[in-house]
Amino acid sequence: MTDTFPPGDTDHRATLDILARARPERLKQHAEILLEEMGEITVIANRTGLVMVPMRDTVQNVDFHLGEVLVSEAHIADEAGNVGYGMVTGRDLERAMAMAVIDLRIAAFGQDTATATLLAEEKAHLAAVDEERMRQVEATRVEMETF
Amino acid sequence: MAYVATRGGEKAIEQAERLFRQDLGPIDAARVDTIRKTMPYLVDRVMGEASLYDEELAALALAQTGGELSEAVLVLRAWRTTQPRLAIARPVQQDEVLTQRRISAAFKDIPGGQILGPTLDYSHRVLATDVLEGKPFTPPPVDSAQAPAPVRQPSLAEWQRQQGLVAPATEPDTAPEDIPDLTREPLLFPASRAHRLQSLARAETGGVLALGYAAMRGYGNAHPTVNELRLGEANVVVRHPRGTEFSAGRVRVSQAEVTSKEKGGYLELGFAATFGWNEVKVIAAATLDLNSAEAPVGSAVHEEFYLYHTESVEASGFCIHFKLPHYVTFQSVLDAMRDAKAKKTAADAAPAETRQMEPAE
Repeated sequence: MTDTFPPGDTDHRATLDILARARPERLKQHAEILLEEMGEITVIANRTGLVMVPMRDTVQNVDFHLGEVLVSEAHIADEAGNVGYGMVTGRDLERAMAMAVIDLRIAAFGQDTATATLLAEEKAHLAAVDEERMRQVEATRVEMETF
Repeated sequence: MAYVATRGGEKAIEQAERLFRQDLGPIDAARVDTIRKTMPYLVDRVMGEASLYDEELAALALAQTGGELSEAVLVLRAWRTTQPRLAIARPVQQDEVLTQRRISAAFKDIPGGQILGPTLDYSHRVLATDVLEGKPFTPPPVDSAQAPAPVRQPSLAEWQRQQGLVAPATEPDTAPEDIPDLTREPLLFPASRAHRLQSLARAETGGVLALGYAAMRGYGNAHPTVNELRLGEANVVVRHPRGTEFSAGRVRVSQAEVTSKEKGGYLELGFAATFGWNEVKVIAAATLDLNSAEAPVGSAVHEEFYLYHTESVEASGFCIHFKLPHYVTFQSVLDAMRDAKAKKTAADAAPAETRQMEPAE
């Protein structure tokens, strides 16, 4: 039940999707461990802000603005120029920074075993949560009959 | 222009605010969290009207205003102005929404089927007074189906378009940064469709319902049938500096299409959407959209009327400003009234032969 979006690197997209919705405590703990092994990091941005969300009207296919979502953003770089980026909905700068740290680590060195395990477990967790919810939703399916 | 000074006002204002806040009591993170978790539909309503999606901040706004909705929306909208806009997300499309409720009152066999989702539509609404007698209410668990519902459901309007039931629509060619935005430009009439739908998305629920209901009862020119009502979660798709698109998280959204009758060989459709799950608002708003095309100027279903009068902060602000001192302007009304009374009294007291009589018609 993974969401898919064009365009971009498929693996990178899947990784970012998981990191943005991973359980905050696990994400932060893992980033703390990775940070100890990383060199100097420059923080380009670590802030809260807004993302405007447009929606497409189904009647005339007109895009309009639904409203803004509060997000937390972290944008970092290492000495080699590799970039790490995190953006999550809500007000949690640490969570966004943890996402950026993991993204930077993967950009610089590829996925280590611990990170791969984290991603696999969080992907499974998110899929299980979605599946349980959608099984409950399916229980409300109704067949209409005309008498 | 003249002014009236009120002595002692500063102290009274300070104490008035203290009295308001004393009545609400202390506010801490636990209280905010309780509101967020136990009143999701109220939180949704506030986020939709504030046009700012953050459950925690909406719950905080409710806590510090004691649930006074216009005040809660006002403080959220004000807080929004302190934040920079970081990005514009990829437009949400209906068939990408993680759908948890989807029904149609117009077509019983819609592609993907009908899913009631979380609703009280078909239940008795009975107040659970047993709770007050010390018997907590524990909701019975849902008997989950063996297989999950599809995460996504197809667009009904698009299916109808393929059947020739709905008018063709061109592919949008507006870049996200060029979409008209009411937060950065004024609402002018006739409004662009993007402005109308954005304005309805952030409109005050009660106002939209009242005007939409007026249209439903016959004060409009189209009676609605729900073509599709959808509640779900939409991904907030943003772009990584390396260009990769990803979801930064999900937000709850509501969408409604309503239809009325055939026109020009196609079904007429009205559309509305909002942040949060608020189906009464989107059905009423879609009804207003449906009625707009042929609405007489000045009627409740004319866009200038309903968009101006359902703007929450402006409407509540204009209403409450009448509580503020209007002594000078009202004094002139009193002066005119007293002057008229004095002249009438003088005229009544004068001998009859000195009165100037109006000539008979």
